[in-house]
Amino acid sequence: MFFVYLPINRTFTVAIPANMSDEIEETSLPEIAAYDETEKHDIFNREFMPHINSMYNFAFRLTMDEDDANDLVQDTYLKAFRFIASFERGTNAKAWLFRILKNSFINDYRKRSKEPAKVDYQEVETTYNSDDGFDTQATSDLRTESVQDLIGDEVANALNSLPVDFRTVIILCDIEGFTYEEMAKILDIPIGTVRSRLHRARNLLKDKLRNYALSMGYKTDD
Amino acid sequence: MSVAPETSVIAVKTQCEHHAECMKAIQAILDGEATDDQKNHFRQNIDKCMPCIELYRLEKCVKESLQNKIEKVPCPKNLIAAIRSKLDLMA
Repeated sequence: MFFVYLPINRTFTVAIPANMSDEIEETSLPEIAAYDETEKHDIFNREFMPHINSMYNFAFRLTMDEDDANDLVQDTYLKAFRFIASFERGTNAKAWLFRILKNSFINDYRKRSKEPAKVDYQEVETTYNSDDGFDTQATSDLRTESVQDLIGDEVANALNSLPVDFRTVIILCDIEGFTYEEMAKILDIPIGTVRSRLHRARNLLKDKLRNYALSMGYKTDD
Repeated sequence: MSVAPETSVIAVKTQCEHHAECMKAIQAILDGEATDDQKNHFRQNIDKCMPCIELYRLEKCVKESLQNKIEKVPCPKNLIAAIRSKLDLMA
């Protein structure tokens, strides 16, 4: 347990459990607001709860398990309420919540995941070692028409088959519509890394979509 | 005597020598994150390069498929109730 010391004009001390420091860290603590109980519930209901469907879908796509997704969302919302003083009213609640959820997932769930990470190490290594992730050769024969023909489950399966770090950036950018800057804050990585990881993830995803298209007999340029 | 209208013929490239750069720019444009230089270059050149036209269509289609085709499930009501109930205990 450690203590956060606040500006002199608002001197009080908040005890934050050590494992919470990863989820709510200094950059999220520009100021600590002293909300009363009514204000806390108001913020929770007006600013946090509207994102619960997005949070649930994000949790489910990270954990691939309904029970784990339930636990992860519940833990995230309870943590958000306990540390609501470090949330500045009217700022980006969705990004703040996603950041807590992502860190909870890494700290608490990834380690005890029921399903071992399905990582094709050869594939990841090849992708990482490629020239800045822009090895377009493998996917250049994927046709737009083939993607148009795929149904939602096929697109979801292709996405779910990606290693979790790649899956995450695609969810945040393409499904949830976060900006690169917001993603950098959620994921604790520089914007340049957001860009390159996103490019690599998209190349991998197009490979998966191409395989689906081939298996379904959709046209590719092969 | 009829006069043929002036026409400009745009030569469309069938190979792109800047493919990696173009892919970066196209993804940035679709993500709403492109720089002014990238946007200008895209506007001025997109109709002159067939691989880039096809890449733009493909990237746009993949992004739209992710946005529109993947099912979004609502958070279970019992989970929302459980959160609210625990919150009341914390209050």
